[in-house]
Amino acid sequence: MTPPAIHTQDLTKIYTVSEREAGMRAAVQSLVRRRTEEVRAVDGISFDLAPGEVVGFLGPNGAGKTTTLKMLSGLLHPSAGALSVLGHTPWKREKDFLRRITLVMGQRNQLVWDIPAADSFELNRAIYRLPAGDFKRTVDELTELLDLGPLLKKPVRNLSLGERMKCEIAAALLHRPQVVFLDEPTIGLDVTMQRRIRAFFAGYNQRFGATILLTSHYMNDVEALCRRVIVIHEGRLLFDGDLASLVQRFTSHKTVVVQLEICPDNLDAYGEVVSCEDGLATLRVPKAETPRVTARLLADLPVIDLTVEDPPIEEVIERVFANSFPEAEKP
Amino acid sequence: MTTLRLVWTFFRIGVMGEAQYRVNFAIQVLQSLLGLVTALAGLAVVFTYTDRLGGWGPNEVAALVGVYILVGGVIGVVIQPSMQEFIESVREGTLDFALTKPVEAQLLVSIQDVDIWELLNVLLGLGVLGVALGRLGENVGFAQAAAFGVMLLAGTAIVYAFWLILATLSFWFLRIENILVIFQSVYEAGRWPVTIYPGWLRFGLTLIVPVAFAVTVPAEALTGRLDWPTALAAIGLAALLLVVSRVVWRVGLRRYSGASA
Amino acid sequence: MMALAQLYQAQFRISLATMIQYRASLVIWLLGQVLEPVIYLIVWSNVSAAGGGSVGGYTTGDFAAYFIVLMVVNHLTYTWIMWEYEYRVREGTLSAALLRPVHPIHADVAENLSSKVVSTPGILLTALVLSLIFRPTLHLVPWAAVAFLPAVALAFVLRFLVEWSLAQAAFWTTRVTSLNQLFFVAMLFLSGQMAPLTLFPPAVQTAAALLPFRWVISFPVELLLGNLTPQETITGFAAQAGWIVLSLVLLRVVWRAGVRVYSAVSG
Repeated sequence: MTPPAIHTQDLTKIYTVSEREAGMRAAVQSLVRRRTEEVRAVDGISFDLAPGEVVGFLGPNGAGKTTTLKMLSGLLHPSAGALSVLGHTPWKREKDFLRRITLVMGQRNQLVWDIPAADSFELNRAIYRLPAGDFKRTVDELTELLDLGPLLKKPVRNLSLGERMKCEIAAALLHRPQVVFLDEPTIGLDVTMQRRIRAFFAGYNQRFGATILLTSHYMNDVEALCRRVIVIHEGRLLFDGDLASLVQRFTSHKTVVVQLEICPDNLDAYGEVVSCEDGLATLRVPKAETPRVTARLLADLPVIDLTVEDPPIEEVIERVFANSFPEAEKP
Repeated sequence: MTTLRLVWTFFRIGVMGEAQYRVNFAIQVLQSLLGLVTALAGLAVVFTYTDRLGGWGPNEVAALVGVYILVGGVIGVVIQPSMQEFIESVREGTLDFALTKPVEAQLLVSIQDVDIWELLNVLLGLGVLGVALGRLGENVGFAQAAAFGVMLLAGTAIVYAFWLILATLSFWFLRIENILVIFQSVYEAGRWPVTIYPGWLRFGLTLIVPVAFAVTVPAEALTGRLDWPTALAAIGLAALLLVVSRVVWRVGLRRYSGASA
Repeated sequence: MMALAQLYQAQFRISLATMIQYRASLVIWLLGQVLEPVIYLIVWSNVSAAGGGSVGGYTTGDFAAYFIVLMVVNHLTYTWIMWEYEYRVREGTLSAALLRPVHPIHADVAENLSSKVVSTPGILLTALVLSLIFRPTLHLVPWAAVAFLPAVALAFVLRFLVEWSLAQAAFWTTRVTSLNQLFFVAMLFLSGQMAPLTLFPPAVQTAAALLPFRWVISFPVELLLGNLTPQETITGFAAQAGWIVLSLVLLRVVWRAGVRVYSAVSG
């Protein structure tokens, strides 16, 4: 059995933060006395990634996704637990390790602002000591895959946000890393660009077999790109499996969409009415009741069309997080 | 070898980044000249009322001003912009890019930003120095030139180490983006011979903010005032500070990777 | 009026909180403000000592007094608005000021004054310490000491108006750094920061008096040191008042023009 590309065991990261309330008094007080609090950013996470897997880390802001990613890329020392990436201990930051990984951060640029991206590429070539032939080939490949063409000759500051991101990604992949860390890569981009970038990484993974670890709070990123999803909330691993199972396990409701002639008054007898317009009704029905409700709808009303859907994934995720706070659940 | 290649690459990037702004050249020349005028005019005013300042004559002080501008240029070419960029990258989180590269982070961080216009100051400083030495009638022999070169190198190393230590403090204190201003403010004192300052201030300018070693000592090498103890102290301090700054850097980096989010 | 008072109050609270947060930055900034006069103090003390104890009518003690008072006056009249505008242009936040219902100068004034409430005690303490070290000789003349206060106040107003107007150049060019530099070099020589103005050739002194430079720093300093006759003092106040009027006009013109330019460019 091949060893995992990434292995973590009870990975933990604890911070001490200084606490202070708002207001003038507290501000002056903090000059003299500092109150600190312990925060468990990552609390005992364990998982293994096989080489070539594409995994999405999903979770709300502050959940611990980025912290985990930073520990895996060697930027942070874990407080406790074991971890290894490609057989190396990340925080030791060995040159061999760093040569085989890459980091892409959304909305943060490593490209030099005033010069064409192509020249920034040369910088990376010098840093990674890439032979001329390989380098040219990689640049050509990436130019084709990302549709970079004319962008490379323009100064980076003249590129749009999306174009810049594409160049950033290319720069990060020049050395053909085996592990790709993506931290919120599509944040701030328009929908079309987000789709293009997801498609690119899917293709990249297929073609080069790089292990890709992506953090995001956009469901679409994970949906489109990752077969496997790891849900992190408050530092803890809530779920590790494929998306379908995620939906399965955490939905208690289904969405029933019925097409009728007009909207009847007594629709709420069948379930929670989400909306009804021009006869198209959307109902939210408890999973267990779905067969019964569907049957009743078909029997009672002149149904033109009826579909049963899983609720939107966002709702599922919200539900997953809300599990920690049952009182925060919607009625 | 990679080091040299990287230095050259960053230098090229610095040139490329600026070459497209033609207006910049005129403006940069203006700024350099303004700096020169300020220094020389100040000198002129002072020497209307005396012919010796701290034991230095007007042409000697002019030579000092030349070294002041020259060293300012040397610091401004790569040390200053790189350290400023470094401090900002800690705040912005872009330091993480440097830390995930297979190159010594201290090196990357120290050469990442090049301000080629500061070479104007290097040229200007050499010009002033040349004129002043000419008027002094000093024949700068090989020995003196070599001593100057070595003292310049030692002074630059001392300043680099100092800046690195200051900049590394941003790992501990996030809200000191203007910490490098400390050096720039104190550097102003280097325009005048260090002998004019009271003992305690001279101490500060030598060992706390090493302006004396950056400016006065190299100038002394050219005007024949340099003595062996000072020269050896400069070299010794340079070596010591380079080690200390490396240690501070590594401690700072450990802290950064232990305590950042 | 009420709105302005509230604005100033709110700004005061913000400035205080910011100062406390950025206290290290503040100390570093103050260091810069202290070092320059101290360096010139030492230089001129040396010149005076080499010249037999006095030079150009100033003894070593006089120089000490001059530069320490200068440091305080410089601090009290100080504005960083030109740097601020440079920064705003770079960050693209100029428009934020244009959108406010109140003329943006008020926010800047409020910020300046409220910051000084915090930093001035520091400067005064430094002045005390420097006095212990450098032993200034101060010939205080009672009426002049009293007249000093309005002189500083007017100096502040004038300096703020002038620098604020110059800062508006940010609407026309991003190259404000060079313009700023020219101004600061002029300030260095003509406002008395490098040396008492009486030590300069007459041509320079005239230029300093005809331009606002003498009146933003040097005049209050000369007044407190007891170097001015009542006649000269009144002329000084008149010059300050005159220049304030002129700068108000300039400010108006520049502001209106700047807004037009900015709206045309950014739409």
